[in-house]
Amino acid sequence: MRARRENLFHLLEPLLPHVEHPARYLDHEWGAVSDQDGPFHLCMVYADVYEVGQPNLGVAILYNQVNAQEGMSCERCYLPWKDMAGLMREHGVPLLSLEGAAPLASFDAIGFTLAHELIATNVLETLDLAGIALTSAERDEDDPIVLAGGPSAWNCEPLAAVFDAVLLGDGEESIVEVCSCIRDARAEGVARAELLRRLATVPGTYVPSLYDVRVDEASTRWGYAVPRAGEAAPEVVRKRCVNDFAATDAVAQRIVPYMGIVQDRLSLEVLRGCARGCRFCQAGMTYRPVRERPAAQVVSCGVEGLLSSGHNEVSLTSLSTTDHSQCEEILRGMNAELEGKGIRVSIPSQRLDSFGVDMAAAVAGGKRGGLTFAPEAGSQRLRDVINKNVTEEDLESAARNAFEAGWRRMKLYFMMGLPTETDEDVVGIARMAERVLEIGREVVGRGAKSGVSVSISVAVLVPKAFTPFQWCGQLDPDEVRRRQQLLLHEIRDRAIRVSYHDADVSLVEGALSKMGRSGFALVRRAWELGCSFDAWTSEFSFELWERAAAECGLDLADVACEEFPLSARLPWDHTSPGVSKGFLQREWLRAVEGVTTPDCTRTSCTGCGVCPALGVHNVIQGVRS
Amino acid sequence: MSGSRPQPTDARPQDLPVKAELPRLRVEYVKDSRLAFLGHLDLIATVERCIRRARLPFSVGNGFARRVRIQFTSALPVGASSTCEYFDLRLTERLDADEALALLRAATPSALEPVRAAYVPGRLPALEAWLNRSSWEVAAPGCAFDAAQIARAVEAVRERGELTYLRGQKEKRVDVAATLAGFEARDVDGGVELSVETRLAGCALRPQVLLDAATDVLGLPRVAAPRVRRVGQAHEESGRLVEPFGPFCEKDGTPLS
Ligand code: SF4
Repeated sequence: MRARRENLFHLLEPLLPHVEHPARYLDHEWGAVSDQDGPFHLCMVYADVYEVGQPNLGVAILYNQVNAQEGMSCERCYLPWKDMAGLMREHGVPLLSLEGAAPLASFDAIGFTLAHELIATNVLETLDLAGIALTSAERDEDDPIVLAGGPSAWNCEPLAAVFDAVLLGDGEESIVEVCSCIRDARAEGVARAELLRRLATVPGTYVPSLYDVRVDEASTRWGYAVPRAGEAAPEVVRKRCVNDFAATDAVAQRIVPYMGIVQDRLSLEVLRGCARGCRFCQAGMTYRPVRERPAAQVVSCGVEGLLSSGHNEVSLTSLSTTDHSQCEEILRGMNAELEGKGIRVSIPSQRLDSFGVDMAAAVAGGKRGGLTFAPEAGSQRLRDVINKNVTEEDLESAARNAFEAGWRRMKLYFMMGLPTETDEDVVGIARMAERVLEIGREVVGRGAKSGVSVSISVAVLVPKAFTPFQWCGQLDPDEVRRRQQLLLHEIRDRAIRVSYHDADVSLVEGALSKMGRSGFALVRRAWELGCSFDAWTSEFSFELWERAAAECGLDLADVACEEFPLSARLPWDHTSPGVSKGFLQREWLRAVEGVTTPDCTRTSCTGCGVCPALGVHNVIQGVRS
Repeated sequence: MSGSRPQPTDARPQDLPVKAELPRLRVEYVKDSRLAFLGHLDLIATVERCIRRARLPFSVGNGFARRVRIQFTSALPVGASSTCEYFDLRLTERLDADEALALLRAATPSALEPVRAAYVPGRLPALEAWLNRSSWEVAAPGCAFDAAQIARAVEAVRERGELTYLRGQKEKRVDVAATLAGFEARDVDGGVELSVETRLAGCALRPQVLLDAATDVLGLPRVAAPRVRRVGQAHEESGRLVEPFGPFCEKDGTPLS
């Protein structure tokens, strides 16, 4: 039964004095759309606390898009922290949206952003707190339609049972089509099952309940999905892609939070997609092709966005901002426009060469904090395997450049457990860190006062769907620990600090990335046992996950570390980001041979398949260097 | 988790060197009950953004952070609303005060609506220390005491002189005799309403802390969620009260310092 739409803030208000950070629950921020007349109501949900979810660009884009439609409203909802969730349950207060303080269960549709795999238990927690049935099959005729989308929708199978429909790829157009479809079907009074069938006809919309999972000798143990007999659902659902990216609004974030949030600045998406082709990178494969905004648009919209939001920092975001063919022009333009206004420009990541350092210097003003590079692997051989097209010389000259330009602290990101990795490659990480440190000392001086330091951060490779490494198993946790020890042992200079990602967290992430539809049992059990906020180190409980796995007859390491045959039908083969499986297979074979593949925005097409499959192409404003 | 949000350390706006000749615009604004739970740091960041949005000709500091030159009144306790908060903003040009107010209102969420603006002498001491008197109204709906009882209990607390309470892990000592400048209680429908006058003297006396101490004296359960509102602020010197917008006396015995 659909809950009644009404403002229930008065039920929440008395709980505010008793929770941490009550500002999470206040709403009424500058720029929030207070006019929520509908009659069609969507609520976008980011299943983590306000300050983590509010900066999300995807939510902001869809929020604006839907609110701009005649007759449609869109509100926001974040998952209350545990203290508030406890009080809400105790007092019988259901989960509410922010703008209208209306029960989530009263909406026509709710849309989850799947920002990463570890959000899975929070999705269930959200639905439970809202009083909405956890699975599509358990929902009543009248219940809200539960949608999802976002980066982790690439392999959403472990949560497939939860969602009525999943929007693949760019959502700005499809969210409106999906909402219209739901609205029209409801107006006609069609049954829920029929409504879901109609949703499957909206391009880019995957309706899990219309598919059966089959396990046979051609598949992995998780099977593969095929349209259920008698259903007209597409065999493969292809993602949506907005090719005219420059026609979209450059400033998506119109809401200015009261409270400090994780990224407390205005974000401008300066380009979408990355074609460098790093073989471990899911975003690199799933956001293709590359679409740049023109420099003039970035500068003028950025300035307008800053003036209308009042932010004092603007971040030029994308998967690889310094690859923008007009990066220099953009930074010059921004700096000129913002001169004397007390506003900072930042770029989240820089490429590993002197140009990257120059761009970092262009935004840093007089400040020299730490500078971050991501060589990812410790040897040239292994960097060729992962197609990280940087050389030892690139790194060395970038480091020299950076020390000369005044930086003292260098941070290097690496991955462990990459395919074909040997002890030599691991030791190579230590040697590389030492080399960078040595360059720093050459440039700056040797004394302790020189302040030169290098920190290295080592993550574990989590093989992701739709990457050339999707067939690989994750490195066994015991072996991860052995290699970590090896690396620690090799680092002798105290000016080099090492940090690791938690191997247990990576293992759960790996299992969630790899499982098929039956993996839902594990997610559900983990949530029942009390897992939530798994992305928070303070909240993550490996023991509970292990127990949940055992109760489901699974072993986390066994799931995450399993290799799939190159020929197998994969659990996610019925969804597609447009990159062909043949390309991924070819890339895998080249990886093993250590053969690199160039960036198609700098050379010519390398045949990933996105452009012909979706009728799109790279949009580069200038010439990439 | 706080990203680049302003911190109360080194580069506090109030510590920035201020050229005395820069026009000093004083703005009175409200903090309505929904935002009662917005902390002081978040409030500062929010107001700074409102000023930027209003495109006032604000002056920025010279540090790397390039902060807006602005001063605030003492922090409201979390959970308290107010009809009379103030900030002083240094401008680079003397824009008409009414025009500045109109621009600010158009750029500020209604929950923090600016209600008055006027220029004040540049050499006045910092707002936070200068506004040393506050008037509060506290509503205690559904409480287990009446006005006379709570008034006697507050008197007992005052006679003890000092009050200690825990704020987080820290023990706070408040000199009640020095900080409590006045108290009144009224019986109203469904509870009691209190008027509390406080004075800045060392650790601030929070109305709810006083109320809790008084209910403890009575041996009654504490009021779960009293509604606290600041309804007045003033400068007190030699027994005289000066309103935030003056008039300011310029001669000897001036209540400015
Ligand atoms: S199809 Fe070719 S040009 Fe298009 S993204 Fe793939 S490799 Fe690049």
